[in-house]
Amino acid sequence: MENNNKTNTIENARKYGTKLWKKKVRKFLNNKLAVFGLSVVLIYILLMVLAPVVTPWDPLEPNFKVKLAGPSAEHLLGCDSLGRDLFSRVLYGGRTSVLIAVISSLIGSAIGTVLGAIGGYFGGIFDKLLVRLQEIVSCFPQLILVLIVVAFIGTGTWNLIIIFALTGWTGCFRLVRSEFIARKEETYVKVCEAFGMSSVKIMFSQILPAVLTTVIVQLTMNIPGYVMQEAGLSFLGFGVPMTVPTWGTMLNAAKATNILINYPHCWLVPGAAICLFVLAVNFFGDGLRDVMDPRQQ
Amino acid sequence: MAKYIVKRILTMIVMIFVISFVIFVALQNTGVDPVAQSLGVDNYSAETAAAIREKLGLNDPLIVQFFRWWGNIFKGDFGYSIANGYSIKDGVLAKWPATLEITLWALVISTIIGIGVGMLSAFWQNSIIDYLGRAIAVLGNSMPEYFFALVLIQIFSIKLGLLPSAGRIPVEGSRIPNLILPIAALAIPLCGNLMRYTRNTMLDVANQEYVKLARSKGIPEWKVYFKHIFRNSMRPVITILLFRLTILVGGSVAVETVFAWPGVGIVLTQAITASDYPVVMFYTLFMAVMMLSISFLIDLLGAVIDPRVRLEK
Amino acid sequence: MEDKKIILDVKNLNTSFKSDGKLIKIVKDVSFQLEKGRSLAIVGESGCGKSVTVHSVTRLMAKNSVISSDHVIYRKFNEDGTAKEYRIDKMSNYGKEMRSLRGPEISMVFQDPMASLNPVYRVGDQIIEGLLEHNPGMKKDDAMKMAIELLKKLGIPAPEQRVKDYPHQLSGGMKQRIVIAIALICNPELIIADEPTTALDVTIQAQIMELLKKIQVELNKSIILITHNMGLVTEMADDVIVMYMGRIVEKGTLKDIFNAPSHPYTKMLLASVPVLGMAQGQKLTTIPGSTPNPADLTEGCEFADRCPYCTDECRKGRIPGYEVSEGHMVRCRKFAGNKEVD
Repeated sequence: MENNNKTNTIENARKYGTKLWKKKVRKFLNNKLAVFGLSVVLIYILLMVLAPVVTPWDPLEPNFKVKLAGPSAEHLLGCDSLGRDLFSRVLYGGRTSVLIAVISSLIGSAIGTVLGAIGGYFGGIFDKLLVRLQEIVSCFPQLILVLIVVAFIGTGTWNLIIIFALTGWTGCFRLVRSEFIARKEETYVKVCEAFGMSSVKIMFSQILPAVLTTVIVQLTMNIPGYVMQEAGLSFLGFGVPMTVPTWGTMLNAAKATNILINYPHCWLVPGAAICLFVLAVNFFGDGLRDVMDPRQQ
Repeated sequence: MAKYIVKRILTMIVMIFVISFVIFVALQNTGVDPVAQSLGVDNYSAETAAAIREKLGLNDPLIVQFFRWWGNIFKGDFGYSIANGYSIKDGVLAKWPATLEITLWALVISTIIGIGVGMLSAFWQNSIIDYLGRAIAVLGNSMPEYFFALVLIQIFSIKLGLLPSAGRIPVEGSRIPNLILPIAALAIPLCGNLMRYTRNTMLDVANQEYVKLARSKGIPEWKVYFKHIFRNSMRPVITILLFRLTILVGGSVAVETVFAWPGVGIVLTQAITASDYPVVMFYTLFMAVMMLSISFLIDLLGAVIDPRVRLEK
Repeated sequence: MEDKKIILDVKNLNTSFKSDGKLIKIVKDVSFQLEKGRSLAIVGESGCGKSVTVHSVTRLMAKNSVISSDHVIYRKFNEDGTAKEYRIDKMSNYGKEMRSLRGPEISMVFQDPMASLNPVYRVGDQIIEGLLEHNPGMKKDDAMKMAIELLKKLGIPAPEQRVKDYPHQLSGGMKQRIVIAIALICNPELIIADEPTTALDVTIQAQIMELLKKIQVELNKSIILITHNMGLVTEMADDVIVMYMGRIVEKGTLKDIFNAPSHPYTKMLLASVPVLGMAQGQKLTTIPGSTPNPADLTEGCEFADRCPYCTDECRKGRIPGYEVSEGHMVRCRKFAGNKEVD
C-alpha cells in the first residue's frame, strides 16, 4: 500500500512534469511573434547550412561581367562591385556573422555565469572587485570598449570573438550573481550545507540548474547585439578581414560614395539581412523569456 | 548623504586611476613601435629613433612614464599624437563639441519623445499610439544606427534631395539641415526602448496600492497620473538614462563615419588605424571620466526623486 | 428599517472581470443596506469577492472590470434632517461627481499600509492632499494644522515631526494610522476598511481596531469592515454579511449570525475559529475541499460540493434567500419552508 502510494506520487510528479512542459510549449505557440521569430531563425539556419545546395554561386568568385548588377532571375539579389552574387554572400557571410555571435555569446555567458556564481555565493572582497570591474566594463559604450580592445590586440575573426566575450559577460554576471545571492538563503541550499555538501557541488549541482533558464534566455538575447556589433566593427573596418564575407564586411561597401548613391542594393541586402535576423531573434528571445522565466520582464 | 557623495567621488577617482593604469600598461605592450610608425619607412633610421625615444622619455621605467603622463595632465598638457604630431588638447578636445552637438540633441529629443509617447501609451493602453510606439520600439531595437543612417541618406538626400548627406558646416546657409539626419539616425532607434520602458513602468506603478489610495481621496485623474504615477515611474527611467547615453556615444562613432561628421568618433577610428597610443589613451580616459561622472550624477538625481535613497545612504 | 436612515443601499450588484476574452463573475447579485451610525462586517475566505464588492461600490476598479447593478445609492444626511440621494451606479468612475463623494463622504482604509502610502511624498502632504482638493482656497498651513490635530487624536506621538517624515521612516502600525488619518481628514460619513489589520502584528491590530470603533461610536459614523477574522467581527460589527464565491449566503445582526448561524458555510466558518477558553482536546474543524475556481462555476449553490447537506435541488437554478427571523436572511435550500426575501 505504502509502496503503491509512493509510485503513484512519482508517477503524478512525472505526469505533472510533462504537463508543465506541454503547458510551456503551448504558451510559446500561443505567442504569435515568438513563433514568427523562431520560424525566421530556423529558415535562416536552414538556408545558411544548405547554402551550397541553395545557391550555385561561389561567394568569393569575382565575375566582372555582372559587376554591380541589380537583382535578376540568375542573381536573386544582384551582385556587388566585383560581380559576386549577393544572395550567396549573404548566406555564406551569415554563417560567419552568426557563428561569431553565437560563440561569443556562449563564451561570454559562461564567463559571466561562473564569475556571477562565485561572487554571489561567496561574496566578500572578490565579489566586490568583480562588481567594480563589471561597473567599469559596462559604463563604457560597448562599441567603444571593443574598439579600444581592438587597438590592443588587433583585428581578426578569433580576436573579435575574444573581445566580444571579454566585454560581454557583464549582463550574465549581474543576473546570475543576484540569483545566487537570493537562492543561497533558501532552505534547500541551507539543507545541503547542513548535510556537509561541498560549496562547489552546491553551486553547480544545486543552484545553477535553477538559474540555467535565466542564463539561456540571456544568452539568446545577447546574440542580436553581437551580430550588430560585428557588423558595426566590420563596417568601420576593424572587424574581420575584408576578404572574409560577413554581413558587416558587405555593409562596408556603402562607404564608397558611388555605391552608396547609385547601387543601394549592395548595402540594403546585408542591412536587411541583419535587421530581419535581429528582429527574429529578439521576438524569439522575448517569447522564450515569457515561457521560461516569467518574472523577468 | 554628504558621506555618500564623498565616498562615491573617492571610489570614482580610484577607478579612473586603475583604468588609466591598465590602459597605459596594455598600450605599451601592443608590439607596435610608435616611433617607427610615426617616422614612416622612408625617414626611419636607428639613430633618429633612439634620439626621439630619449626626447620623449620612452626609455624610462613604465611607472615613471605613467606618473609623468598624469603629472602632465594636471598641468594641462595632454601630450601629442605620435601619428600626426598634433597636440591632443587641440586635436581631440576640439572635436568634442561636434560629437556633443549630435549626441546631446539626440538624447534630449529621444528622451522627450520616448517618455512622452510612453506616457501616452500607458494612459491609452492598447490604443493606436500604444501599438505604434511598440512597433517602433521593436524596429529601433533591431536596426544598427549606421544602417538606419544609410537608409535616411538614401531617402532624404539622394531620392528626395531635401537634406545634405554629409558634413557639419555647409558652404553657405543654415547649419540646421546638416544636423537633422545625424540626430535622427541616433535618436529614433533610441526612442523605442525608452517608450517601452516608460510605458511598462507606468503601468506597473498604476497598479500600486498607493495609487488606489490617491484615487480614493477624490483627486482628479490628471493629478493621479502626474503626481503619483509619473513621479514614481521616473526613478527607474532615469537609471536607464546612463545606459542610453552609452548607446548614443557608441552609436555616434559609426554615425559620424557615415555622415563625415568631424567628431571624436572619427578621431578615435583614425587613431586606432594608426596605432596612435596617446590619442587612444586620452580618449579612453576622457570617456571613463565622463561616463563615471554621469553615472554619479544619475545616482544623485535618483536620490533627489526618491527620498528612500536620499535619506538612507 | 426606515429608508431615510439608510446611508448606503446596494441592490443586485454584479461585477465581472474580463480575462482572456472571457467574463468571470466575481460578485453576484449582492444586495445590502447600511444604516447610519452602524458598522457592517463582510466576512468570507480570501477570494470570495468581499473586497471587490466594496471596490465596486466606490468605483475604484481595474479597467478590465464590468460593474452593473439595479442601484447603488449613497444618502447624505443634512443637519435639518433632510437627505440628498446620490446614485453612485449612474456616475462615471473618475468623474467629478464620484470624486466629490470620495473623501468627504466615503473614504477607504486599505489592506496593506506598507504599500498604501506613496514613497516619494511626506506623509503630512499625503494626509492633506484630499483636504486641499475638497476645500479649494484652504491654506496649506491650516490644512497641516488640522492634520497634526488629527494625528494627535489618533495617538501618534510628536505629530509635528511625523508629518515631515517619509513613509519608509515609519513603522507598520504608524503607517496604518497615517492611512486612517488620510481616510478621516475630510470627516467622511462612511468609512470602508478593507482588512485594515491583516498586515500588522496582533497587539497593533487591537489598537487600530479600537481606534476605528471609537471613531465610529463617538462621531456616529458608519463603517464597513472587510475581514476574515471572526474575532474582529464580534468586537466591531453590528451587522454581518457572510459571502461565499461572490454571493451573500447569510446576513443578519451580529447576534443572528453568531447565536443562530444557519447556512452550513457560516456554521463551518465559525467552527473553524479558535476561541479563547476552548475545552482542551476540542478540535478546530476545517472546511473540507477547497474554494472552486470562479471561472468553472455553472449554476446552483456555489457551496454544494463542500456541503454535507447537499441535495439535487442545490445544484439547480438560482438559490433564493430565505428569512430565518426578521432581518436574518440565509441562502440555503434547507430553509425552503421559510419566506423568500431575496
